[in-house]
Amino acid sequence: MNIEIKESNGGYNATLFGWLDTNVATEFLEDLKTLEAHADKAIELDCSKLEYICSLGLRGLLKLQKLSVAQGGTLVLKNVNDEIRGILTLTGFIKLFVIR
Amino acid sequence: MELVFLGFNLYAWITILTVLTMFTVLLFTKLRADLVFLGAIAILFVTGVLNAKEAFSGFSSTSVVIIGVLFVVVAGLTHTGVLQWIVKHLLGQPDSYSKAVIRLMLPVAGLSSFLSNTTVVALFVGIVKIWSKKLGVSPSKLLIPLSYASGMGGVCTLIGTPPNLIISGLYAEDTGITMNVLTTTVPGLFCLFVGVLSIIAMHKLLPDRKAPESAFESTSEYTVELLIPSDNPYIGKTLNEAGLNNVRGGNLIEVVHYDKSVSTADGEDLVMGGDRLIYSGQIDEILDLKKSHGLVNADHFVFTLSEVDTNRQLRTAYVTFGSSLIGKMIGKTSFEKDNGLVLVAVARSGKRIEQSPREVVIQAGDTLLLDCPPKKKLDISSLAKQLHFFESDQVPNIGRKTFISTTIMMAMVVLSALNVIPLLQCAFLAAMAMLIFRCCNVDQAMKAINWEILMVFAGSVVLGVAIQKTGIAERLAFGILDVCGTNPIVVMTAICFVGTFITEFISNTAAGAMFFPIMYQAAEKLGYDPFPFLVALMVSVSSSFATPIGSPTHMLVYGPGGYRFSDFMRIGLLMNIIILAANIFIVNIVYPLTPLH
Repeated sequence: MNIEIKESNGGYNATLFGWLDTNVATEFLEDLKTLEAHADKAIELDCSKLEYICSLGLRGLLKLQKLSVAQGGTLVLKNVNDEIRGILTLTGFIKLFVIR
Repeated sequence: MELVFLGFNLYAWITILTVLTMFTVLLFTKLRADLVFLGAIAILFVTGVLNAKEAFSGFSSTSVVIIGVLFVVVAGLTHTGVLQWIVKHLLGQPDSYSKAVIRLMLPVAGLSSFLSNTTVVALFVGIVKIWSKKLGVSPSKLLIPLSYASGMGGVCTLIGTPPNLIISGLYAEDTGITMNVLTTTVPGLFCLFVGVLSIIAMHKLLPDRKAPESAFESTSEYTVELLIPSDNPYIGKTLNEAGLNNVRGGNLIEVVHYDKSVSTADGEDLVMGGDRLIYSGQIDEILDLKKSHGLVNADHFVFTLSEVDTNRQLRTAYVTFGSSLIGKMIGKTSFEKDNGLVLVAVARSGKRIEQSPREVVIQAGDTLLLDCPPKKKLDISSLAKQLHFFESDQVPNIGRKTFISTTIMMAMVVLSALNVIPLLQCAFLAAMAMLIFRCCNVDQAMKAINWEILMVFAGSVVLGVAIQKTGIAERLAFGILDVCGTNPIVVMTAICFVGTFITEFISNTAAGAMFFPIMYQAAEKLGYDPFPFLVALMVSVSSSFATPIGSPTHMLVYGPGGYRFSDFMRIGLLMNIIILAANIFIVNIVYPLTPLH
């Protein structure tokens, strides 16, 4: 488990944590489906405890982002640490997400 | 009391062990040959086998000095376009393979009899490849003859190949008699004549192989790796949306992401900065895609396209024997970074390799397509040990200086052949004339002197001295006489036979220096003048046809011809025997054996 999801004020707050590599990415993508089902809502992802994210995990987040835009919802990444910011910069995904 | 074992004293055993170790090191390691020779000399000197004068005799040897000076003379010829002039006017448009072989081998042999064989072959390789296309003949049918011709041509004069100079120099030191510069001309020409006929007769033994760089000209014969920079506009789109999945004349094989995970190309996969896209297909189409989609070569990560020099160009090069890249993946070395190059594609024996190019374990003779800095910024000479670039950078204009440098060269040969001026002085005068008439500048002259080769030559001379001084040569000569009896022609043939095969594995010069004392002693023991024996030796140590490592010129054609090791053996073993027979025959006619008084 690399994600904890809570419903709050009609939207969703999720906390990502730990080392999200290819070994756990499939499970993570499965968990993301809960958020995908509510992509029309406001979703906030807290990344402060996330140590690493692999390409598969990142693609899952982008998929969620696209779905969110398509359904009129919002997706915000919060408390992005340097490690994750580095990965987002390298992949060019930093421009695709709203980061706070 | 002197320690003697199996007829050899302690010094002789030290010499034998040193020589054996040296050859083992040369064969199985990539240590520089000059260092190995220097190490051997150091051992022989420190252990007392050689005194100081003997240990350093190689460095003052006339033949070694002549070789050094001749480098400058050759630089003059090279920089004034003599080679280019000959290439342009002599090859022509022959209408059959036999005529093509003659048109190629005779001028190459002629040039090699005065110039360095390696220089001549290096220049001809590129031209022969273009020529073979025009003739509709596979380059592999012409490149082995090219290399063989340079070897056989080199034998035709004393200055044509270093072993001739070394053997004649040692002969002069032992007897006080200087050999004429044209001593080997008649035997050499006869062997060349036999060699050309043999190549034509045995041309079916030459492989009909596709030119390696044709892999870069036709469809689906190569693999290219391209990288998505972090600012690429297609990031976040699917491969299909970005138009990166399907390329005309090829396809995307796989995608390697920043975390090293690999996914087979799925059109719905999202494009991500740092992705390495592995394509197979037509090079021009992929390069068009590279341009239109802002991709870069995948040597190191770049964040923006502006970090990449747009003046870079693609060039083809072959991996040389002894290259430190052999057995390694280029992606795991600092080679690209150190030299400012990027490996774009790899082909082997004309075929694409089904792998990401930077993960291919490199082999000698592989053809690499490299993304290089502009010509002015790329130092090809520093890469010469690793790679041989297809096109030559030095294509001088043909003009008045071409005539001047040719005249200087011809004057040098004629004056020394007629014994008007000794060869050493002639070579010095010619080198000075080349500089005075600006056929080459001082910088070019200094760069032309190959110190590594000179050190090996000097080392070879010293080893020859040790072999002679410790009595090894004498005992080996006696051993050969015991086996071969007292028939001088049998003895001459036997030593030449061994010399021919040894020289397949060691440098011709080292073989010459080492077999000189053995041949000399054997001739004397039989009661004959060593002169004809040594002429036969000169021809045989330069007749290494059966392995690509037998001569640097074979290595030069190995990659471009798309050859395999066995290709040289198939025709080369027969050539070794044929040229040996021709050699013994002609030497005994031109220089009949004369008993010593």
